Amino acid sequence: MASLHITRVKREFREVVSSEEAQKSQIKIEIIDESDLTKLKGTVIGPPDTPFEGGTYILDIRIPDTYPFNPPKVKFVTKIWHPNISSVTGAICLDILKDQWAAAMTLRTVLLSIQALLQAAEPDDPQDAVVAKQYKGDPELYRKTAKHWAQTYAGAPKTTDDAEISAKIDTLLQMGITETKAREALSTHSWNLEAAVDSLFT
Amino acid sequence: MGYEVERFVGVVDEELFCPICGLVLDSPLQIKDCEHCFCGSCIEEWLKHQRVCPVDRTPVPPSCEGSSLTSALGPAPRILRNLLSRLRIKCENEVFGCQTVTHLEGLQLHLNQCEYNPRRPVECDRGCGSVVPMDELTQHNCIKELREKITNQSLVIKTLSDQVSILQQELSDQRQEMTILKELVRSSASSSSNSLRHTLSLLPPLPPLSSASPSSVSSSQSNYPDEVEHAIQTSQWLSLLRPARIRHWGGIISTPDSILQSIIRQALSSSGCPQYLLVELMANAHERRWPPGLSVLETRQLNRSRYEQYVTKQVPGKQAVVIMASENEHMGDNMIVSPGMVIIFAHGVD
Ligand SMILES: [Zn+2]
Ligand SMILES: [Zn+2]
Ligand SMILES: [Zn+2]
Ligand SMILES: [Zn+2]
Repeated sequence: MASLHITRVKREFREVVSSEEAQKSQIKIEIIDESDLTKLKGTVIGPPDTPFEGGTYILDIRIPDTYPFNPPKVKFVTKIWHPNISSVTGAICLDILKDQWAAAMTLRTVLLSIQALLQAAEPDDPQDAVVAKQYKGDPELYRKTAKHWAQTYAGAPKTTDDAEISAKIDTLLQMGITETKAREALSTHSWNLEAAVDSLFT
Repeated sequence: MGYEVERFVGVVDEELFCPICGLVLDSPLQIKDCEHCFCGSCIEEWLKHQRVCPVDRTPVPPSCEGSSLTSALGPAPRILRNLLSRLRIKCENEVFGCQTVTHLEGLQLHLNQCEYNPRRPVECDRGCGSVVPMDELTQHNCIKELREKITNQSLVIKTLSDQVSILQQELSDQRQEMTILKELVRSSASSSSNSLRHTLSLLPPLPPLSSASPSSVSSSQSNYPDEVEHAIQTSQWLSLLRPARIRHWGGIISTPDSILQSIIRQALSSSGCPQYLLVELMANAHERRWPPGLSVLETRQLNRSRYEQYVTKQVPGKQAVVIMASENEHMGDNMIVSPGMVIIFAHGVD
């Protein structure tokens, strides 16, 4: 008989595929390599009425040998601007992926919890301090930035005019900065061009 | 870990699945506080990671002192156990041709005697005495099997004989140590007993040579075992005695009477001979207790030429000598007794 973690992954894969949420294309799970079920690709769709609405977020899921006694290791592959997710590494700060894990939880509950996190950030338990500060200090700017990232990286539909943002990024591009770096610097410095330039050249 | 659901005939109720392994419950236990059920092995493993219910995260009280990990767990409710035991499951040897379908509660019984079980232990029918799993019987080779047994036994024998030689080495080391200690006691016989004490104090603490002997009463230095304390007292006393010069070995009184013996005993006692030694020495003052080389007239005459080699100490003021075994090891067992003997003379000692 196969080992427990593989048995569970197979069953949970079927559970996600046949779930109501999957039917509505809210979550998805894919096997990358049939011979290695410990590496999976997850997808969650940005929930409505959030800056992430309509974005497609790819997750890297790793199943430890000790699963389900220990939680799966999950991180964002798609770049995202969110207080509980690192804008640099994609690491997620979510209690059920740490000390609040329980063996009866499944990959489906994990994906739904991550989707819920996109809906309701917890800035007091941040993974990305810069984003969390902005979230609390200037919610409007946070939404604008998060939306811009969603449109750029997660393919969220373009509903706003980003002309001003694009102009600032272009300025940095002409200075020889890569686009990713430019966007990170501007986002981090509240889209203040001078502050972003300072941070990049000092 | 539970049973694969595919093995059951008919529908299995959702309540009968283990939330941890996702399979049909095997030997279920429930958390007493929240009543959630899991396979016994699954929940025990989980509680090693976190002491909360895997479903609702209800805290599971830590096991009390002395009780097992599972004290917060109890048997699953009877109704659930009944439902499980009535499930009909296919034999796990279905792939080998077993058609048996049994109630879950009878599964183990069936497996023990399932003739399709490829691992069922059977005895070799060619007489080598081996018991092998059935699926290995066709490849089973009696000679190879027995050869392996012999190899294993040779290994055991080798280990044992290695141990024997280690023990022999230890024994001979200890013998050597004993000899050194004896030598030490003897060589200190004529020197100051304080120097012997000093030498002994440099040695590592000695294990008691005999646990049966009573502890030394006279000595203030009671941290030595009795034997060592006796050796010190003996050497102290011997060093006070003067070597005897025997002019006429023919004057030996081999059967002294009790009056003569008590005179010599008195003299020995006055000379400071330790009491325990005095008793022994006086008991050995008669030819019936002498070594074979001295025990009768004939053997005495045969060994006469060797008398001069004895190391003798005079009993002060008396025609008698003490011959200590510790000072006369060169004479051999035939000529001395332990711890020593007294020989009384009619005349010729000075
Ligand atoms: Zn519970
Ligand atoms: Zn289980
Ligand atoms: Zn069978
Ligand atoms: Zn055989």
